[in-house]
Amino acid sequence: MKALSNILTKKVTRDEEFECLGIKLRKDIDCIFGRSLQLRELDTGSDNATEIELVNLTTPYYDIERFGVTFVASPRHADGLIVTGAITHNMAIAAKKTYEAMPSPKIVIALGDDACGTGIFKEGYAVIGSASDILPVDVKIPGNPPSPKEILAGILAVLETIKKKKSQQHLHS
Amino acid sequence: MKSNDNYTQMDENKFEKSISELEKSHDLVCLFCAQQGKRFVLYYIFEKGKQLLMMTKHLTGTTATSIAAQFPSACWYEREIRDGFGIEFDGLQDRRPLLLHEPYPDGFHPLLKSFKNQKIHTKKDVIDSYPFMPITGEGIYHIPVGPVHAGIIEPGHFRFSVIGETIFNLEIRVFYKHRGIEKLAEGKQPRECIAIAEAISGDESVANAVAFCMAMEKISEITVSARAMGLRTILLELERIYSHLGDLAGMIIDVAYPVGASAFFILREDIFQLNELLTDSRFMRGMMDIGGLKRDIEQDKLRQAGEFLTTFVQRFKKAVEAVQVPSVIDRLDNTGIVKRELVRPLHLTGPIARAAGVAIDTRRDHPYGDYSKVPIRLGEKGDVLSRFEVKTAEISDAVAIIRQVIASLPLAERRAVLPIKDGDACSLVEAARGQTMHWVSIKKGVIDRYKVRTASFCNWRAIEHAVLGNIVPDFPLINKSMNLSYAGTDL
Repeated sequence: MKALSNILTKKVTRDEEFECLGIKLRKDIDCIFGRSLQLRELDTGSDNATEIELVNLTTPYYDIERFGVTFVASPRHADGLIVTGAITHNMAIAAKKTYEAMPSPKIVIALGDDACGTGIFKEGYAVIGSASDILPVDVKIPGNPPSPKEILAGILAVLETIKKKKSQQHLHS
Repeated sequence: MKSNDNYTQMDENKFEKSISELEKSHDLVCLFCAQQGKRFVLYYIFEKGKQLLMMTKHLTGTTATSIAAQFPSACWYEREIRDGFGIEFDGLQDRRPLLLHEPYPDGFHPLLKSFKNQKIHTKKDVIDSYPFMPITGEGIYHIPVGPVHAGIIEPGHFRFSVIGETIFNLEIRVFYKHRGIEKLAEGKQPRECIAIAEAISGDESVANAVAFCMAMEKISEITVSARAMGLRTILLELERIYSHLGDLAGMIIDVAYPVGASAFFILREDIFQLNELLTDSRFMRGMMDIGGLKRDIEQDKLRQAGEFLTTFVQRFKKAVEAVQVPSVIDRLDNTGIVKRELVRPLHLTGPIARAAGVAIDTRRDHPYGDYSKVPIRLGEKGDVLSRFEVKTAEISDAVAIIRQVIASLPLAERRAVLPIKDGDACSLVEAARGQTMHWVSIKKGVIDRYKVRTASFCNWRAIEHAVLGNIVPDFPLINKSMNLSYAGTDL
């Protein structure tokens, strides 16, 4: 117990802007999904910096689970896919299989410059292109890599779009 | 073409004899190929302690003699050259494609000068048909894992052959993320290539950018100012700190003690924010330049960094104390042993080699930057616990190095501006994961060939050996204790 008290004394100072975005996200998730948004990460040829920032979102400093976002182990459990990196020829089959394994309706988020088609790997023999060349991308979050706050803002942007569509459908029906 | 390193040209008649002599005394740092006109040249870089031995072999056709029997690590290099250039190696047992998976057309060799880098037509409707090594016997079953894994992690395939819960064999297939980095660099202006070097592996952005710039500075005979050298050292060591902190956290997560891991994660986030303060980038990108740095770092920010690191040391010490509990140590101890005898034949490098008791560190063996004294931290058993302890000690050492550099950092030009010359050169840097080699060849002011060999490329083989006899549930822990870069391997 003495050992634990070593690390449990200091509280994390959080970024205010991040907290505000997170609270908005929580409300949107409640409104659209009821409880939580489950995302599956798919690396199709990144430089690993985007993965690191995604992992950082789950660590105590950002702790994105507080706002209802969970990263799941299987595409079969996922509401959405976060694609990182350019699409390499060597990953194309696995990328399509992962997308197909997700139940519909499903969201696709392209994360980072390479996945968005603005990175340095858009040319050359080894890549097909960016995420939207093989998958229906709903939102692009650029950055080299995007920061945790930018990723959170991007996820919020997808949900805002869905919410708008939902309320329009509601009006029409 | 002028080379900035001393190469001995190998004589075909004496080739096998000299290779078997070298086998007794030298490590193979790298083996790669470059095309000069219509002919191919193989570059063999060997290491013996602090000495590098560089040899070339000019091929008359498209066949060469394999050295994989003498230097097991040559197997991947020869397969890589086979894919890239279509060169066949006599005596090479394993002739499966390495970089180019099933979708690639037959007879396609991207590194040939006759191929202009462009989009290609791949095979349609291919299925995974890679022939893994057949492992059969009573009670043996296979667990295929990947390329898409369960966590937020890069893709790769692990083929476990298991008896009960015990791992009998593991074959790793990577290169899923092959982005064609070496070809992409060809024809580019050297300064354009810094961004490519930074994209080799995100958490080794600084190490790879520095290694590329060092090779360019050697070619162009540019001396970097003491200030730029010091600042590079600070950034290289910050990269080591956040990288090792992630590994420590990952190991503790994988023994199901997330509370213990959280302290390391918080410290790591603090380092990311410090990186941003110093360089405007959490991964310290966009700072390196040929001849020094693109931007200076203000003295005031360095002072703040120094102050932060003083409190960091105390917090880090407490975080390490907090995981010294039997339920954690018991899982780390004796798990995933990398035997010392494997270090040389496989050219294992970095904390993996040091944790196995082998005193190698590029910072000391092939000095660069501003390292007056680098303590070499050694483990004994080569198990996960040894790697945990070596990485822990290296974090404290990196903090000490940074504080010392800040204290003695002179004011000087951030960059030496000199013209870029033609030629070729090799550079070595100790990234967080170990020794990284870059070789650059410049012709008519542009990049003619760029060869990169990161520490991960060598260290993947360590995992295949370390897991043997361990149980499958310990695999994630063993893997995390090495935390290799897929991007840095696949290029």
